[in-house]
Amino acid sequence: MNCAEFQRDLPLIIDTGGIEEQEEHLRSCDVCRGLVSDLRYIAEQAKLLIPMLEPSPKVWDGIQEKLKREGLVKPVQARRSGPA
Amino acid sequence: MAIRRTAEPEEKVEVLRIAAPETQVVATPESAPKRPVLNTPKKILPSGMSEAEAIERAKGGDGGCFEALYGLHKRRVYSLCLRMTGNTAEAEDLTQEAFLQLYRKIATFRGESAFSTWLHRLAVNVVLMHLRKKGLPEVSLQETLEPAEEDGPKKDIGSQDQVLAGSIDRVNLERAIESLPPGYRIIFVLHDIEGYEHNEIAEMMGCSIGNSKSQLHKARMKLRDLLKVTRVERAASKR
Repeated sequence: MNCAEFQRDLPLIIDTGGIEEQEEHLRSCDVCRGLVSDLRYIAEQAKLLIPMLEPSPKVWDGIQEKLKREGLVKPVQARRSGPA
Repeated sequence: MAIRRTAEPEEKVEVLRIAAPETQVVATPESAPKRPVLNTPKKILPSGMSEAEAIERAKGGDGGCFEALYGLHKRRVYSLCLRMTGNTAEAEDLTQEAFLQLYRKIATFRGESAFSTWLHRLAVNVVLMHLRKKGLPEVSLQETLEPAEEDGPKKDIGSQDQVLAGSIDRVNLERAIESLPPGYRIIFVLHDIEGYEHNEIAEMMGCSIGNSKSQLHKARMKLRDLLKVTRVERAASKR
């Protein structure tokens, strides 16, 4: 198996591992080994990306405003119970 | 019922009332009626209330609980929107739209999946709908199906550089994802970051499973190219 043949099946190899012939090529080819290593590394790192960013306060303000405008929110005097 | 801003707990209490006049509003978790626990992860809100309880109350029109759910999920929904669009203003608008839809639809949540799964699927649909309206997916999907020679991933035959392992930090990866062509970016975000399966992506995007797999592979290859360029540039700037 050469590099072109190996890389043609790369998506499958990354996801599920290769068949014996592909594994053998991988053991003997630094270029393809580096490629597989990089692609697996990228996928692993992506899984570790955590949602760090916070939307600005205007997003919540906009939600409140729209709910009011649509009549889904009632003014204070309509409340049945007192404020917490 | 009072709504207190999540990010600024000492701020003056703003009062909103969500239209559910028959709902019995309960002020404190201690006095809350006992409700069956939904099939959701046991997340505890700052008030000490469980997420499942907040969901049940939000279904009944409790604005404070809805805001608490917003506080709990806003980062992940916003990050999803930002990564899929690559644009802060659009991401904020879409986050707003996703939570507005949540408010309108929360009563239909039956607890058959985790609440976060349900909400994030709702958010993905909001983003995809937006992108369809903009006409982006059709264009970018086509681009990714038949990428231009200079745009597509290249075969890596006969060249060997240092592997990426250990050289990617979060900021560089985020930047590289942001600079992916939209079609690649959406599939990569949905699969590799958000954890959707190819069959789910295919259903959401209206493409085949094979197409989803192929685009994901191209996205990863493109990212690899981008990250290698970043690494070279960083090394050059240190000299």
